[in-house]
Amino acid sequence: MSEGKLNFIVVDDSKLDCFIAEKIITNSGRCESVKVFQQATHALEHIKAAGQAMTTVVFVDIQMPVMNGFEFVENFEALPDNLKQNYHIYMLSSSINENDIARVKGYASVRHFLNKPLTNDTIKAVLEEYS
Amino acid sequence: MDSKKKIKVLYIDDEPNNLVSFKASFRFDYNIFLANNTDEALLRLQENPDISVILSDQKMPGMTGVEFFEDIRTKYPNPVRILITGYTDIDSVINAINRGHVFRYIKKPWTDVDVQSAIDEAQKFYITTSMLAMKNEELQKAYEELDKFAYSATHDMRGPILSVLGIIDLTKGAEDMAEIKEMVGMMENAMLKLDNYIQNLHDHYSIRRGELNITDIDFENVMKDMSDLYDITGRVKNVRFEKSVQQNGKFRSDDISIKIIVNNLLSNAFKYQKKDEQDKYVGMFVKVENGVANITVEDNGIGIPGKDLSDVFTMFFRGANDEIGSGFGLYNVKDALNKINGKIDVISTENVGTKFIVTIPSK
Repeated sequence: MSEGKLNFIVVDDSKLDCFIAEKIITNSGRCESVKVFQQATHALEHIKAAGQAMTTVVFVDIQMPVMNGFEFVENFEALPDNLKQNYHIYMLSSSINENDIARVKGYASVRHFLNKPLTNDTIKAVLEEYS
Repeated sequence: MDSKKKIKVLYIDDEPNNLVSFKASFRFDYNIFLANNTDEALLRLQENPDISVILSDQKMPGMTGVEFFEDIRTKYPNPVRILITGYTDIDSVINAINRGHVFRYIKKPWTDVDVQSAIDEAQKFYITTSMLAMKNEELQKAYEELDKFAYSATHDMRGPILSVLGIIDLTKGAEDMAEIKEMVGMMENAMLKLDNYIQNLHDHYSIRRGELNITDIDFENVMKDMSDLYDITGRVKNVRFEKSVQQNGKFRSDDISIKIIVNNLLSNAFKYQKKDEQDKYVGMFVKVENGVANITVEDNGIGIPGKDLSDVFTMFFRGANDEIGSGFGLYNVKDALNKINGKIDVISTENVGTKFIVTIPSK
């Protein structure tokens, strides 16, 4: 069970950073599926439509147009518990702003704040929580 | 006589004779408003908030001059207050001056010279304090922008750098040449994005700090420059680009500001097109008449949602999910327009298109 496969969702308005995250996730060897969204509203729609899912790790950028990472989390937290329980959210950002980082800690559903770029080492540390 | 240029002075006295003689003495020097009591004085102030000097008699039935000044001070902090009084109330005058309600006092009976010098001093003081208030406001705005900038710089400048670092990390493990080439292409895009951001930043500060260079503007030339830039974009992106110029008479303004304005509007019009639109279209029409230039830039692109319309000119506001957007473009447009006294209106419907209408007066 220690090397169980996981689902992944990446939410980032930068195509490039989506590409990087997708590669790193695929290379991790733990990837069952990975879905990439450049707009947070689409990711939210996906989660609502998917219903109860298997364990899914979600990487969300903070600064995005239309709906930013914080708004995404706030909308996510308003979803029913049975829908939320298998999603594990990680904020992934280039921000070094203390307010941003402090704000991330205020959200119950956010596991950690991670610095960009996502690297093999970071994802390894994250996935150890799911072994 | 040009009464517009004369400073506005309000004089309050319960003695009608004093009002009449005050007006008779100073009507050529100042734009005089009179009030028989403090209620009337409040009315005059409401109608003319730009009154810069108020003179009031101290002894009036109902409310004293000092009480009146105390009363209006919060609502009308700018006009300079001068008290007119006899020697008998000297204590209340000293008190009022010490508490900052009164700038000066003139003793009764006044002489023209006393009044004139008091008003002139008051006017100087008024100009200095209003300038200070204006500068403070500017400074406040600059601070706010600096805060926003510091915040955005981490995202917009660090973002592409971190992306490239991420890809470099990936290429270390990559073996496939095609994959590596793809990654190099991506790094190139990240660097172009950063470069675009820095160029916008440069534009921003050249508008801000740069002096205006007013010359004759030939909009045919402006249009030619834009054609050079955007005809190719139109062909590559398959967008029909329509344009016309109708210039009747001379037009003077700052060439660089005008180019920054139309360039940003066109860049947006070409950028925010609908992907599946068969007949993609951008139009730019210029009409100069009676010393006013009307520039319209329109497209049939994705449009702007109603809730975002009021935010589009805000610094770092990004409405759309677009890789190249820096949140600088329309802010720079607005800034440039402010410098040349122009204005801009936007009409937009989501999924139908956007129309920007710019109006600039000749200098």
